[in-house]
Amino acid sequence: MARRTCIFFISLFLFAETVAVSQDTVTVPLHIRAGFDISGPVMKFVTKDLISYGIAASADINSSLAATAGIRYSSYHSSDVLYDFMSRGLSFTAGADYNLIKANVSHGRYSAGIGLRYGLSFYREEAPMLRYTNGWGAGETSVPAENHIGHFMEITPGVRAELFPGVTIGWNLYMRLLISAGAGRDLKPVWMPGYGPGTSGMTTGAEYYVSLSIPYRKIKVYIKPKVRYSDEEEGEVTDTGSESGTGFSGFSNRP
Amino acid sequence: MKRLSVIIFVAVITTLVMALPSCSVQPCYEETDPVMNTILLFSGTGETAKADSLRVYTFRESDTLRFINIKGVSSFSVPLDPANDESVFLITLNGITDTAVIGYNRKPHLVSPECGYTILSEITGLWTTHNIIDTLIIENKLVNLDGQKNLHLFY
Repeated sequence: MARRTCIFFISLFLFAETVAVSQDTVTVPLHIRAGFDISGPVMKFVTKDLISYGIAASADINSSLAATAGIRYSSYHSSDVLYDFMSRGLSFTAGADYNLIKANVSHGRYSAGIGLRYGLSFYREEAPMLRYTNGWGAGETSVPAENHIGHFMEITPGVRAELFPGVTIGWNLYMRLLISAGAGRDLKPVWMPGYGPGTSGMTTGAEYYVSLSIPYRKIKVYIKPKVRYSDEEEGEVTDTGSESGTGFSGFSNRP
Repeated sequence: MKRLSVIIFVAVITTLVMALPSCSVQPCYEETDPVMNTILLFSGTGETAKADSLRVYTFRESDTLRFINIKGVSSFSVPLDPANDESVFLITLNGITDTAVIGYNRKPHLVSPECGYTILSEITGLWTTHNIIDTLIIENKLVNLDGQKNLHLFY
């Protein structure tokens, strides 16, 4: 039995050839989207220190890649025993989103993927009151308002789905990596608009977007055919009890 | 519709999880008081000296601030006045008193959001009497939270 199985496998490799068993194209609409982040207003109920409003736009380049850009206004004000701090400003992000769902599945309506963006934050920070205590006693001073420009990178895995034609919803987590807060070593912002705590090299969070989408073009996407090894003696495999598992699981074009 | 509900549920949970840390007040575990560190050295040999007694204090209009009053010490640390660009110290070393005036620039520094700000200084100059102090030199002009030695006091 073992000898017979061995001969079968040798013959299988000799005669095996990859064949295209399916070729297909799907028509996928490319969209332009514009939406706003509803997590910002919602978060205002959780933390009163932060006001954050964000809008984002994206345009599909092809079935899996979209160019994206966003603007966010943030205003932060915290009053503590030790200090008062306020910052506000505009942040801009630009980058690309990659959709991991294949075109024949997503049909331009769903997306689950990852985005990479570069962010710039134009902000103004000040600490109108800060208290200190040391051997000389307690005192108060302030840090005057100054304008700064911060830089960061953003990695955003997320999902998006078409709720009904023309309206999509989606949420994404974000991991922001600080390149520079632009304020020097001593006056790192307690909150850098568009980024988060300027004292931290990495921040995480989530955004939830409701967007309007307009299809602007339709493209035909060639779907790679799935392949399988032709095996003329498939029946023998069953006979021998061996498995012919090659890892390929295409669908047959036989009638 | 079921898929939509799952997406919304996961998004809400994620948002809440992300928001929770910002609601809690974090304690401060970091050092927030910068001090000017001074080591005592024998004049001539430059070896580390151990003073029999040391008092460091200053007079103010209303009171006297005593920073140091210890025996058998070879170094000491005192804070600079964060409200002025100059601090005056009276240093009584082995019973003999000298006056030292330290001039500096000040700048606020954010320690952390939990600990708030502190005032760092950069020593710009110093002046001293010479009853027992031979020389007072600046080793490191930055008075920050690193704990480095700032002055060498030879006597």
